[in-house]
Amino acid sequence: MTEKKILIIDDDQHLQLGLSARLRARGYRVSCAADAISAITVARKELPDLIILDLGLPAGDGFLVLERMRDLADLVAIPVIVLSARDPTDNKKRALDAGAVAFFQKPPDNHEFLGAIRHALGETMALSTFLKT
Amino acid sequence: MTSEASGRIDAPEYSPPATPILPPCDSTLLNEKGNMQVSPALRADLLDFKAWSEILTTYGRTMRVAVALTDSQGQLLGKCHNPQPVWQLVNNAVRGRGPGCPFCITTRLPCTAVADALQTGGVVMVRDQAGLTHVVVPLLLGKLRFGAIVAGQVFDRYPDSLVLRRVAKDFGVSEQQLWELAKEQRPVSSAVLQASGDLLCALGNAFLRQRYSAILEAKLAETNGRFRLLVEGVMDHALFTMDSTGCVTSWNGGAERLLGYVEAAIMGQNFSCIFTREDIQNRVPEKQLHKALIAGRADDEGWRVRGDRKQFWANVNITALEADPAISRSFAIIVQDVTERRKIATVLEEARQEREGLQEKLLSHVSHELRTPLTAIYIFTTNLLDGVYGDLTPHQHEPLTLALDNVKQLKSMVSDLLDITRVETHKLTVEPQHLSLARLIDEVLSTCLTNAAAKNVTLRSDVAPSLPFTWADPARVRQILINLIDNGIKFASRGGSVTVASPPYVENEGFLCLSVSDTGCGISSENREIVFDRLAQVRSTTEASRSGLGLGLFISRELVSLHGGRIWVESELGKGSIFYFTLPVFSLAKLCAHVLTAANLEAGCVTLIVVDVAQVEGAVQADILLEVRKVLESCIRPEQDVLLPSMSDAEPVKTFFIIACTDAKGFEVIASRVARELRKFDSSSKLKPAISSTTLLLAPGHFGEEQIGDVAARVDQLVQAHLLGKERLQ
Repeated sequence: MTEKKILIIDDDQHLQLGLSARLRARGYRVSCAADAISAITVARKELPDLIILDLGLPAGDGFLVLERMRDLADLVAIPVIVLSARDPTDNKKRALDAGAVAFFQKPPDNHEFLGAIRHALGETMALSTFLKT
Repeated sequence: MTSEASGRIDAPEYSPPATPILPPCDSTLLNEKGNMQVSPALRADLLDFKAWSEILTTYGRTMRVAVALTDSQGQLLGKCHNPQPVWQLVNNAVRGRGPGCPFCITTRLPCTAVADALQTGGVVMVRDQAGLTHVVVPLLLGKLRFGAIVAGQVFDRYPDSLVLRRVAKDFGVSEQQLWELAKEQRPVSSAVLQASGDLLCALGNAFLRQRYSAILEAKLAETNGRFRLLVEGVMDHALFTMDSTGCVTSWNGGAERLLGYVEAAIMGQNFSCIFTREDIQNRVPEKQLHKALIAGRADDEGWRVRGDRKQFWANVNITALEADPAISRSFAIIVQDVTERRKIATVLEEARQEREGLQEKLLSHVSHELRTPLTAIYIFTTNLLDGVYGDLTPHQHEPLTLALDNVKQLKSMVSDLLDITRVETHKLTVEPQHLSLARLIDEVLSTCLTNAAAKNVTLRSDVAPSLPFTWADPARVRQILINLIDNGIKFASRGGSVTVASPPYVENEGFLCLSVSDTGCGISSENREIVFDRLAQVRSTTEASRSGLGLGLFISRELVSLHGGRIWVESELGKGSIFYFTLPVFSLAKLCAHVLTAANLEAGCVTLIVVDVAQVEGAVQADILLEVRKVLESCIRPEQDVLLPSMSDAEPVKTFFIIACTDAKGFEVIASRVARELRKFDSSSKLKPAISSTTLLLAPGHFGEEQIGDVAARVDQLVQAHLLGKERLQ
């Protein structure tokens, strides 16, 4: 089985550094982008299995990235977990409506956050078990 | 003071006091205690000699007696009318008549007939030293004694020459002249005198009452006139009156100035002309009039229209002018222009909102900015602790764990900061859902375990296994519990314990109670009062410097009250504290209450649609439920139907939603739409939940309050049956 690829889109270099260290230690391949424009470019080049997305980004925010991804056939199916410092009150629903699979406010609880990553990557269950007539 | 034996002439001779013949006083002259309030000025006015002069003179001439008016002390008021010759002759010789009866011709004390008449309320007859007789008539209003009328100076028998000789000698008048005059005076029998006295009594008292009414009327007219001037003079309020149909009956200068209609133009017009067109269309004038008719008063604030069609913001008060609304025929209306005041209030409110908005924005920004570096610290610390950068020695592990604890504390403080702003701007909200507390409490306890272990505090759960489901926001309940447990850990002594329990709670049937108790130092009674207040910090000897922002309990109280519950603390110094809070028990019936109305049930348009979602590997994933919920939300009519959130907590049953629908026809539509939408969702999404649906159709029939209770109970049974996975009702 090939390594799962995760793209971190966040303009905080320290977060990139820390989170990618953690994810690499777990056996994922990690790439990073720091703004909305390069995010799409990197995503199309890397075609990751999962994207971790910040909402406050230079050159457009995370919602713009989500919107662009919905329009691109090669990116539309990639699950996105939003990780933002913003208040979840309104942003959580908005992010999920825009296609994100989960929303975490910074700093996230490690256990829950890594669990959500595994779940989004389909590592916790076989999707086929969902199917029932 | 009874009658003297006849023949004795040295003292006044009295007839027995007659039975009072005065009619009862008109009750309108009395106050509620039956007493009359009469000022000295009014008293003087009532006995004004000039006013009485005509009636007394006429009486005296007609009856051929002398008549005089006295005050209640017997002092002559004004002159004596129609004085008789004998009396006149003797009286002229009297030098300096002392106090007492003005008629008595006596060398000794005059009679006290005035006092006696006023005392008894009847006519008193007296014969004086000269054999002249007079009657005294009391003047009374109710129990008030005003004065008396004295009439007489006549012989009631043929004059006695011996007596007259002695009088002439005593008073130094000519004996012959006296006798000549006495012979000329025609005697009047005492029976006639008595009868005419009674007549005078009736006449005098009737005149007194008439005079009293006349004076009151004059005063009332004067007051009215003054009041009218006052009303006219009020220029910054419109004052007007109207009849029960709303037609204007008076209009003051202020009304003319403020409302822009002159009196002549507005009289008889309906007061609705000062309302806006919309108000008139919405029948506001009629409604206000009706309210004033029923309640005696109607207050309102709103736009009103001037004669020149300009609008102003008015404060209006309508008052019924009769205390009894049943007989109210007339209303007084006061209108005040408060446009400026309203403008100022609006500006102030805007400023307040702007300030709150800025404050929230600032705190939201600060919170956001604090979270970014906090996240980096958190990630690096956990990376280190989890060995991402290599194994740690125990010496390195301990300080890093402490660092992580501090990061967590900082994180919760940042959250509190934002919550506190929301409390102030009333934006703190809870999103209640069907919630099983047992699992949540276990989760919370495991979260708090590290903290407790660090202080060697044992965490216990003593929650009843049969605890009912609650209707609460899981994230917020978790926050409340963590606040209380962390608080307990903070104050528990080393080696102590913190216990979460569910004590029985009977005060309010719709609520359950949770408690968090610790074996700490306890809280003094004065601190128990303030412990939930904002920024309250109960000083602890050991950890005073580390008690956080002091917002935890304040926010917990707000969150509990947003759930409709209450929070309180019981404590004993040295033994520990128990914090209690209540949460609403989940009741499907309560949530469906607005659908389960008698009208809806009677119309047979209540339908419950149950949508099941299969479990996936022991837990239904939140995002799948969210997707299902979105589909269901798109199917219902928000103003008529109720969609309940998933009820996923009870294991091992399936999660399900209930749609309560108020329209029987809508049932078919919704059921087929739900099915269609869910199929669509099934095929398009990569998340493929298994979905089946169950319907429950409530039989139409006659429903009263009791039956609604039955239906509600049946709905709850249905839910319980589903949650327990025993059966599926059809």
